[in-house]
Amino acid sequence: MITGSEILLDSFIAEGVDTIFGYPGGQIMPVYDKLVDYTDRLRHILVRHEQGAIHAAQGYARVSGRPGVVMVTSGPGATNVITGIADAMADSTPVIVVAAQVSTALLGTDAFQETDFIGLTTPITKWCYQIRRPEDVAWAVARAFHIATTGRPGPIVLDLTRDAQVGIAEAGHKKCDFIRSYVPRPKPSAENIVKAAEMINAAEKPFVVYGQGVILSGAEKELAEFLNKGCIPAGTTLLGLSALPSNFPHFKGMVGMHGNIATNVLTQECDLLISVGMRFDDRVTGKTSTYASQAKVIHIDIDASEIGKNVPVDLGIVGDAKDVLTQLLPLVQKRDRSEWETTADMYGDLEKHKVIEPEVFPESGRIKMGEVVNKVAEVSGGKAVIVTDVGQNQMIGARYSRFAQSRSMITSGGLGTMGFGLPAAFGAKVGAPERTVCLFVGDGGIQMTIQELGTVMQEHTGIKIILLNNNWLGNVRMWQELFFDQRYSSTRMLNPEYSFIASAYGLKYRFVEQREELDDAVREMLFDDSAFLLEVHVEEMGMVFPMVPPGKSVNEIMLNGTDWFEYGE
Amino acid sequence: MENKLYVVSAYTENQVGLLGVIANIFTRRNLNIETLQVFPSEFEGIHRFTIKTRTTQDQINRVLMQIEKKVDVIKAFSYVDDEVLMLEHAQVGAFLAAREAEYESDK
Repeated sequence: MITGSEILLDSFIAEGVDTIFGYPGGQIMPVYDKLVDYTDRLRHILVRHEQGAIHAAQGYARVSGRPGVVMVTSGPGATNVITGIADAMADSTPVIVVAAQVSTALLGTDAFQETDFIGLTTPITKWCYQIRRPEDVAWAVARAFHIATTGRPGPIVLDLTRDAQVGIAEAGHKKCDFIRSYVPRPKPSAENIVKAAEMINAAEKPFVVYGQGVILSGAEKELAEFLNKGCIPAGTTLLGLSALPSNFPHFKGMVGMHGNIATNVLTQECDLLISVGMRFDDRVTGKTSTYASQAKVIHIDIDASEIGKNVPVDLGIVGDAKDVLTQLLPLVQKRDRSEWETTADMYGDLEKHKVIEPEVFPESGRIKMGEVVNKVAEVSGGKAVIVTDVGQNQMIGARYSRFAQSRSMITSGGLGTMGFGLPAAFGAKVGAPERTVCLFVGDGGIQMTIQELGTVMQEHTGIKIILLNNNWLGNVRMWQELFFDQRYSSTRMLNPEYSFIASAYGLKYRFVEQREELDDAVREMLFDDSAFLLEVHVEEMGMVFPMVPPGKSVNEIMLNGTDWFEYGE
Repeated sequence: MENKLYVVSAYTENQVGLLGVIANIFTRRNLNIETLQVFPSEFEGIHRFTIKTRTTQDQINRVLMQIEKKVDVIKAFSYVDDEVLMLEHAQVGAFLAAREAEYESDK
C-alpha cells in the first residue's frame, strides 16, 4: 500500500511522462514531497507563474506529440492555468493538468485556497474529474491520458483532493484503452469514401484546405501522396503549417485573414473544396455565406460535431485524417490538373510582386518584420521550430517562415493568447532539445509572461528569442489605423531597456536597428545552442498584408492600405 | 428557418456533474430549456436525459453533436415535439371533456 501521491507519480511514469511543468503550493505539497524520491525518473521544471507551466506544456506537446503534464496547487495556482487550458481546448492540444484541491471535508466551505475548479474548467476541458479517494488516482490518470491523446486531443483537468494525495491505496497502474461511451477513432463510412472519390474524380478544379488534424493523425505522407496523385493544389490553416514542406509543389500557402492570395482566391474559384482535419474557423472563412459557395464541399474531420458547424457541406466524413486519406488514395484517379494549378502560381506571382517583395526586401526605411522572419528562415535553412506569440509577429512569422518537417509551427491559433510565445518556446525546446527553437514575439506579448526568462535561465534552455519591437501593440494599432479612424487608443507602449533584462537573466543579447547588421546578428544568434535575445527595432507603423478584412469574402483582399486585389491583374 | 419545439433524448453514464455539462451546451447557444428530466434508463447503470427546447433543425443538429461529443455521453437523439405534443394534447383534452360530460350527466 502506498500513498495517492506516489500512485500519481507511478502512474505518470507508467504513461511515459518524463517532464512535469509545475509550481508548488500548500495543497499540492504531499505530491511535491514524494517527488523528491522520483527525481531520477521525472524532471520537474519550476516555472515562474502557473500560466507559464501550461503554455510550456502546450509547446512540449505540440512539438513532440506527447501529452504535456502540469502540476499546480489549488485556488490561485489552479485559476492561473485556466487561460492555457482554454487555449489547449481551442487548439486540440493534449495536456493533463493536475491541480490540488482542499480535503474533501472542506469542499464547499470556501476554505483557504479552495475554488470550484471542476466548475470553472468543465466548459474548457475535454474531460475533468475530481479525485476524492487514493484508490481512484490510477484509474483517473489512466483515463486522463487515454482521453487527452486519442480522438481529437484536448486538455484534461484532474482536481486532486488532499485526501486522495495522503490516503493509502493499492499500488499498480492499469492503462485505459476503452471507454464505452467514447469512440475516439470512428471508422469512416465506406460508402462516403466511395462518394468522395467520385466527387474528386469528377472535379476539374479541386482544392484542398488542410489543418492540424493532418499533423495530429500523422497523415503528412498520405496527404502528400493524395495531392500528387490527383494533382490538386492545397492551402493550409495556421495550425496546419509545416504538415507539408514549404517547397512541396502542390503547397500554395496559408488560407484566411492574412493568408496567401492564391489560396484564398482558389477557395472562391474551385469546383470542389476538400477540407481535411480543419474546422472552418471564422479567421479562415471570412464571410461564411459566400465562402466557397460556388463549390461542392467535402469535410473530413475526426470530430463529428465540426461537420456542418460553420459551413454547409455536401459530404461529411467522420474519421481520422490518416484513415480517410489512406482509404481514399486507391480510389482517386491519377490526373493532370496542372492547368488549374497554374492559376495558383499566377496569384502567387502577383502576391510576390505586390506584397512579399516590398515586405521582405525593402530598399530603404526601417527594418520590416518580414525581413527579420525571412532572414531567420534563410539562415536556419527552414529547419527550426518556429514559435510565435500572438499578433503581427504571429502573422508575419507564419507567412514568411519556411518549414522542412512537420510539427515545426507552434502558435496560439484558436484562442489567440498573448503571452503564449515565450513559455511555449521554452516547452518546445524541452520537448525537442535537438532542434533549434526560434520565437517571434512582440514587445507587448513578451511582457505578458516575461518572468519565464527565469525558467529559461535556471534550466539552461537555449531558445532563440527574436523580439520584434515596434513600441506599439502592433496588431491592435493596425486595426485602429484601418478600421477606427487612426484613433490609437491605449496601444502605445513604453518599453523597458531589454538589454538590462537580458543581462539580468544571463541571456546573450544583441540589438539591431540597421538593415546591414541583421544578417550578422541572426548568424550570431544561431551560431550555438545558448539562449539568445535578439531585439530588432522594426518599422513602428508596420502592417500585415494581404488582409481579408473582417466580414468580407476571402477573395476581397487588401494588398496594402489603399489597393485591393482585382482579378486579371 | 422555422423554430420548433424539439425533444432531445440523451443516454449517459451516471457521472457527477453531467447535468451541468449538458445544460451548458444549451446555455452557450442561448437556448432556453423548457423542460428537463433525468432518470435511470431501461439500461442498467445508464441514465437518460430528456430536454425540450425551442429552436431550429440546424441548431438542434449542432446541439446533438456537441452532446454526443462529451466523453460520458453514450448516444443522443432528437425529435420534433409537435406530434408528441398534439397526441398528449388530444389525450388530455379528451380526458377533460369526458370528465366534464360525467359531471354534466351527474348533475
